[in-house]
Amino acid sequence: MRTLRYLATRLLGMVGTLLVISVLTYAVFYLLPSDPARLSCGRPCTPDRLAEASAFMGYSKPWLQQYLDFLVGIVAGRHFGSGLAAVDCAAPCFGYSFRLNESVTQLIVDRAPVTFSIAIGAAVLWLIVGVGAGVVAAVKRGTVIDRSAMVFSTIGVSAPSYLVGLLGILLFGFTLDVVPVGGYVPLTESPVDWLWHLVLPWTVLALLSAAVYARLTRGQMLEVLSEDYIRTARAKGLRERRVIGRHALRNVLIPVATVFGLDLGTLLGGAVISEKVFSMQGLGALLIDAVGNVDLPLIVGVTLFSAFLVIFANFLVDLVYSVLDPRMSLSDAAASSGRN
Amino acid sequence: MKRLTAVALAGLLALAGCGANDPKKEEGGEAKGGKLTILSASTDINFDPAKSQNLAITTLGLVLRRLTTWDVQPGKPAVVVPDLATDTGKIGADGESWTYTLKDGLTYADGSAITTADIKYGIERSFAPELSGGLGYHKSLLTGGDKYKGPYTGGELASIETPDAKTIVFHLTTAYGDWPWIVSMPAFSPVPKAKDDPKKYNQNPVASGPYQVSSYQQGSLVKLTRNPKWDAKTDQVRTAGPDEIDFQLGQETTVAAQRLIADTGDDRNAFGAGFVPPAQLVQIQANPTAKERLVTSEPGALTYLALNTQRGPLKDVKVRQAIEYAVDKKAFQIASGGTTGGDPASTLITPGIAGRVDYNLYPADPAGDVAKAKQLLTEAGQTRLKLVLLSENDQVNLAKAQAIQQGLQRAGITVTIKPVTTDAWIEVATGDKPDFDLTVSGWQPDFPSANGNIQPLFDSTQIGGGGYNLARYSQPEVDTLIAQATAEGDPAKAQALWAQADKRILQDAPVVPLLYAKNSFLHGSNVRNFSVAAFPGYPNYLKVSLKN
Repeated sequence: MRTLRYLATRLLGMVGTLLVISVLTYAVFYLLPSDPARLSCGRPCTPDRLAEASAFMGYSKPWLQQYLDFLVGIVAGRHFGSGLAAVDCAAPCFGYSFRLNESVTQLIVDRAPVTFSIAIGAAVLWLIVGVGAGVVAAVKRGTVIDRSAMVFSTIGVSAPSYLVGLLGILLFGFTLDVVPVGGYVPLTESPVDWLWHLVLPWTVLALLSAAVYARLTRGQMLEVLSEDYIRTARAKGLRERRVIGRHALRNVLIPVATVFGLDLGTLLGGAVISEKVFSMQGLGALLIDAVGNVDLPLIVGVTLFSAFLVIFANFLVDLVYSVLDPRMSLSDAAASSGRN
Repeated sequence: MKRLTAVALAGLLALAGCGANDPKKEEGGEAKGGKLTILSASTDINFDPAKSQNLAITTLGLVLRRLTTWDVQPGKPAVVVPDLATDTGKIGADGESWTYTLKDGLTYADGSAITTADIKYGIERSFAPELSGGLGYHKSLLTGGDKYKGPYTGGELASIETPDAKTIVFHLTTAYGDWPWIVSMPAFSPVPKAKDDPKKYNQNPVASGPYQVSSYQQGSLVKLTRNPKWDAKTDQVRTAGPDEIDFQLGQETTVAAQRLIADTGDDRNAFGAGFVPPAQLVQIQANPTAKERLVTSEPGALTYLALNTQRGPLKDVKVRQAIEYAVDKKAFQIASGGTTGGDPASTLITPGIAGRVDYNLYPADPAGDVAKAKQLLTEAGQTRLKLVLLSENDQVNLAKAQAIQQGLQRAGITVTIKPVTTDAWIEVATGDKPDFDLTVSGWQPDFPSANGNIQPLFDSTQIGGGGYNLARYSQPEVDTLIAQATAEGDPAKAQALWAQADKRILQDAPVVPLLYAKNSFLHGSNVRNFSVAAFPGYPNYLKVSLKN
């Protein structure tokens, strides 16, 4: 019962957070001194034509009214204009991009596989490499391996992903010609090409993020290894692999999971830099494009979806806590993570 | 008309010279076959003629024909030529009606005949608010266009008559000599009513040109294949060389330029739709094979400094004339990328536009004439002038703003730069609250007529409300000249009037012409017939072919 109440509270909290974010996004973009209708007005843009375009797209209403229309559209769908050229946006309608002639929901559905492919592959890679390097560095503290791992991670933390991406393309794409320099092939079209086009983005993202995880894991591991219960485990004659793998790593992974959840959630919302560098049209590229064209419905839709992913990832992290540390209940886990 | 954006102008930042429209590149003549790839940073191509702002010689021109089109060749002014019509139009006795007759044997990709009813319907649908966003010069020129809401709710537009399947007559609200250019715009493409699906027409238009859209992957790839029903004998501008054309969308500009420099595999059959980035322009100078494939346009579109003529000391023509002399165009040219960025300008009508007369009302070294400027300022009683320069806040535009600032400083004019985002720049510069004294802008007309150079920037009706009369210039004599030139049906007489207006405006010095901009593009080693003229300063897609 307690767990159910907790889940219900969390879900309500998630919805509330998303509502606040949507209000803020709407307000921020309406306060900017630019008229989204002007970009759809054509040239020359006379005041009459601007007013027509604005009325058709619903921008002539007060922003609060527009926001309420947006909320209603999520449940009931929306309808713009009249006659054969009228636009229907079926529920759940998170807005309609008049520039791209497509509902925001459909655009997100179309583009999400690109971003998810980049993000999930890279995340798996950086988690394995980062945590692995961190554990080895901690266990081999003070050795050449430790120092090398930390030098590598310092470089990784400080290198801009845009630069590393371009250098990667230049070296592996142009000079060595071993991987494609950009573009995305859907998994359903060709699994081999899908993998081949993602190798470089995964590697670049993983190299950079793994550095953070290596430092974090090393620090946590050193702390945990000095705990009494580790000494006890060793005194009982447990093998070192079991001490590290079963007793120490489990505790180390709690803060790692927190950071990982947030990182993955953020990346799933749009790997902006990577998508740009590798010419992949995912959610990040969609958002950048929308901002550049003052495509307000698309900006709000993608922002909300990204926010949802971060919030949902946070929620999943809390679930993972209870798995990593069976002493904790769901609500304890959330409380201990300070995000309840 | 199209204001050159900051992003576009960033491409002009070149540091050294490069190849031009070299006649050697013309080898291969009318070669047929192969797959051409066009690398584009844009993530969308809107093929709906009602919503498109495409130039007549780029993407849409490959798929959709119009009543007239452009013949664009390097070294020559752009010329309007017949496309679907037999001529560029017959003007009525009152000067307010134009008649066109379709050529024989014109069909769509499905084999059905192209009729004037389809052209009328195509124009009518461009009035629908649901399909706004395209080039709409005709909307205020056609009688009744101001109230018409399109065929979906408003019936037919009576000012377009189609007495038979091959004749179409337009009735205008006023005499308009450039009407033959207007009917070259996308909205004058035929759209068969039975095939009109406004929601999907942007991806799947009915082809009348040499190519049809065979696949459209939003954001990533658009494939064109041959339209088997297109007849080359009816088309004097399209050569339709490649069998297929792929548009790779959303390409990062640096990576795209690197691909073209590397020139391997399929990229040998490719060209970049965007300007070559500054860093790659420098890289190309050290790479002879890439340099061979770099094409820089002749100087064309105008970059200028607008002086807000309705504000403070700038109301005084002597102060404005002083600024004409004080500006350091050489420094501005360097900030714009040197000689590859453009050539110093002195006129409003730009190279590549028929009827242009070259002159300089304020003769001085490109670095300016500071003594003359100071003398004029003293005469005007303005020796401690302080002005605000509104600038877009990107690196390229700020560098240009600083070049203006430093130039004017030499004459004792203190300029404060006010950096804003591009959206804010548009709102302030074109809106009704022009809180600035100076601003730098670029301008390329949507159609190659002096009208496009002059009317949008200097007609008093274009002040505020989104209009591009950034100088807020209002001179009844000039308005009258613009009206006369606009109404003149004889091109030679109209050109003389535009040239007269050009000089008359600059006597009042509402703007300082700074540069005629140049654009640089790169193509692969198998690409032939790739040229960029002064106008419109973009490659002519209609003529590009591949080496056999």
